[in-house]
Amino acid sequence: MDRRRFIAGTAAVGALASPALARGAATFRLGLTPVFLDNDAVVIERLRSAFSEAMGEPVDLIQRRTYQEITASILDGSVDAAWICGYPFLQHRDGLSLLGVPVWRGRPLYQSYLIVREDDAAAGLGDLRGDVHAFSDPDSNSGFLVTASDLARMGEAPERFFARSIFTYGHRNVVRAVAGGLTRSGSVDGYVWETLAVVEPSLTGRTRVVARSEWLGFPPFAARADRAADAELRRFGKVLLGLDATPAGRAALDLLFLDRIAPGDATLFDGIAARMAEAAAR
Amino acid sequence: MTVLRRFGTWPITIRLALASAALMVLLGLVASQQVLSTLGRLQDARLQEYARLHVEGLTVALGPFALHKDVWEVYDTLDRARTNSSGERILFTVVSDERGRVLAATDPLRAPVDSSIADFTGDAVPVSEVTAANGASVVRVMAPLTVQGRDVGQVVTELDVSDLIDQRRNAALALLAGNALATLTLALAGYFVVARMLKPVELLAHHMGEAGGAPHPIPDDAIPRSDSVLARLLRNFNEMAGAITARSEAERRLAERERFVSLGRLSSSLAHEINNPLGGLLNATDTIRSYAERPEVVRESADLLDRGLRHLRDVSRAILEENRVDRSGRRLSAADFEDLRLLFEPETIRRRQRLAWDIGCCDEALASLPSAPVRQIALNLLLNASSAAPEGGEVSLGIRGPDGVLDLAVADDGPGLSDSARARLMSEAPVAPGGGVGLRLVRDLVAGLGGTIAYDRSEGRTEITVSLPRRGAGSC
Repeated sequence: MDRRRFIAGTAAVGALASPALARGAATFRLGLTPVFLDNDAVVIERLRSAFSEAMGEPVDLIQRRTYQEITASILDGSVDAAWICGYPFLQHRDGLSLLGVPVWRGRPLYQSYLIVREDDAAAGLGDLRGDVHAFSDPDSNSGFLVTASDLARMGEAPERFFARSIFTYGHRNVVRAVAGGLTRSGSVDGYVWETLAVVEPSLTGRTRVVARSEWLGFPPFAARADRAADAELRRFGKVLLGLDATPAGRAALDLLFLDRIAPGDATLFDGIAARMAEAAAR
Repeated sequence: MTVLRRFGTWPITIRLALASAALMVLLGLVASQQVLSTLGRLQDARLQEYARLHVEGLTVALGPFALHKDVWEVYDTLDRARTNSSGERILFTVVSDERGRVLAATDPLRAPVDSSIADFTGDAVPVSEVTAANGASVVRVMAPLTVQGRDVGQVVTELDVSDLIDQRRNAALALLAGNALATLTLALAGYFVVARMLKPVELLAHHMGEAGGAPHPIPDDAIPRSDSVLARLLRNFNEMAGAITARSEAERRLAERERFVSLGRLSSSLAHEINNPLGGLLNATDTIRSYAERPEVVRESADLLDRGLRHLRDVSRAILEENRVDRSGRRLSAADFEDLRLLFEPETIRRRQRLAWDIGCCDEALASLPSAPVRQIALNLLLNASSAAPEGGEVSLGIRGPDGVLDLAVADDGPGLSDSARARLMSEAPVAPGGGVGLRLVRDLVAGLGGTIAYDRSEGRTEITVSLPRRGAGSC
C-alpha cells in the first residue's frame, strides 16, 4: 500500500473534470471532491470502472474543488449524484436524498481530529489561541464545523480565536500544512488521517492528534430528492450498496480502506446537526 | 634587501632562469585571473538565467494566489515546486504580499505566515545582479510579484551556489598546478637554453682573469663559428688581450730604461765630477816628472794622485752599482744612501743648490727592505726635486724609521708638482702622453712594496713622503 493508491496532489483535477461538461445521454455522472478524496488517478479509475461495470453504462466521475461547488452541481442537475459531507447534506437536507453511507472499520461513523505538529506542546484547542490554523473546507464537518462549534462552546469564533485561519480544500492538505509548519494546527477528517497514517506515515508522523471529536455520520452519497425515484438513480443506489459484492467494487473499496456502502439513515447525522445548531447559535 | 643583494651575486644563468620563472608566474597570474573572471562571468550568466527562469515561473504560478492572499495555494505551489525540482539549487523560497507580510515559504518554520519578509530581503539582490563571486555558498535573489502590471508581493529565493564555488576553486587549483608545472618546466628549459647561449660569455669571463689578473687570449678552436657576433666579440677580446700584454711589456721596458734615464740625467754632472779631478791629477803627474829627484814632492803628488783616483773609483763604482743593483737582491743599507749622495750631489753642486742629507736610521731597520726599488724611488724623487728647485735653492732627503715603517721624505723649495705630475705620482689614471714616466715609476714601485705616498705643500716647500712598511717592529 502506498500513497499513490490513495491520495496525491490536485494536478489531475482539470483532466478529470473536463469530460463532465460534455454530457452524453447515457452517462451517469457522480460528483466527488478532493476535500474528502484526493484525486489519485488509480483510485478514480478503479471507482469509475467499478461503477461503470456495475451500472452497465459509462460513469463519469466529476471532481470539484469545494463542497459548495459539488453541492451546487447536485442541486443544479449537472451531476446525478455525489459523495459529499454530512454537513452540506444537512444544509440542503430538504433538497437531497441519501443513497448510502460508507462503512469504515465496521461502522458508518468517523471522527474529526485536531492536529498539531509532532513537537508542539499544545494539549487542546484552548492552547492554540492566536496562532495560524488550517481548515479543509468551510462546508466540511470534520474539517471546519467540529472546530467551529467547539470554539462556539468556548464563546469564540475562528476568525477571532486564531490569528489567521486558512482553507486548504483537502484533508491531506491540512496534514501537509501542519506537518510543514505552515500552520500550527489543523482540523482534519479522522478517517483520512488514519488512512494516511497507513499509506503515508512519514507525513502523519510529523503531526500529533491533540483532540478527537465524538463519532459522527460518515460522509454520505446523496442525490437530488426530487430525482430519487428515477430508475437510473435507483439502479445507482443498488450498485452502491452492492459494491462490495463485485471484484471491481471490492478492489475500489479496498483502495479506499472502506468495508462497504450501507443504506443510510438521516439520524446518523444528528451529531452534526447538533454542532450546526451550536455554531449557528453563537 | 640582503636577498636581493645576494641574488646579484648568483650566476647569470640561474638569475635569468629565475627571472624568466618570475615572469612566467606573473603571466600565469594574469592569465589565471582572466580565466577565472571569464569562468565567473559564465557562471553568473548561467546563475542569473536559472534564477530568472525560476522567479518568472514562480511569478506566473503565484501571482494570482498572492493577489488573493491565498496562503495555502502559495504554500502548495512552493511545496510542489520544491519536491518536483530536480536540482538542489533552490534551498528556500519565501513569498510575501505587497505589504511585505509573509504569505508562505517552503520552510514555514523559518518564515512563519504573517511575519515580515524584511528578514530575508536585507542581503537579497535582483536577478540581474546575482553572482557567485563573493564566495558565499548561498545567495539570495528577490523579485517583485506582479499581476497585470500590479505589484502584489515579493519573492525571495535562496540559491545554493556551493557547486559553482567548488568549480571555481577547482579551476583555480588546476590553474595553479598547471602554471606551477609550466613555470618549473620553462624555468629549467630556460636555464639550459641560457646556459648554452651564455657559454661564450662564460668563456670570455674565464679568460678575463680573476680580479687583478691579466686577461689571456681565448684559443681559436674555442671560438664558436655559428654566432658571428659572438665570434667577433671573442676575436676582439683576443686582440685587446694582446694589446694589454704588449702595453704592459712596453711599460716594463720603459721602467727598466728609466734607471738609465736617471743616470743619463746625471751624466753631465758625473762627467764634471770625473773631469774636474783629472786636471789636478795630470798636474800631479807633470810635477812627478819635473821633480822626480825630490822625493817629498813625488810623495805629495802621489798622495794627490791616490786621492783623486780613489774618488774616481768611488764614482764609477756608484754608477756601476746603480746599473747593477736591481738584479742583486741586496738588502737596503746606509751604504746605498752614500752611493746615492755620491751620484746626486754633483747635480746639486752644478745647480748651486744646497743639499740637506739626513739618514736618521740604522742598518737593521733599513735591511728589512730591498735595496734596488728604494734606491730608485729615492733617486727619482731627488732628481725631480732638484729640477723643481730653483738655481741656488734647497733640496733635502730625510730618512726616518718609526715603528713598522720607513719614511723617506724628499723636499724642495720649487713651485710644487703640476696637476699632471701629481696625477702620475698619486693616482692610477693613465699617464698623459708627453710627460716623463719617472713619477709613475715611483708610484708603481711604492705600490709594489705596499707603501703609501703623501704630498704636502706648505710655506713654499714641497714635501713628498713615501712610507714603506718594514718587517720587524724595531725603530731607530
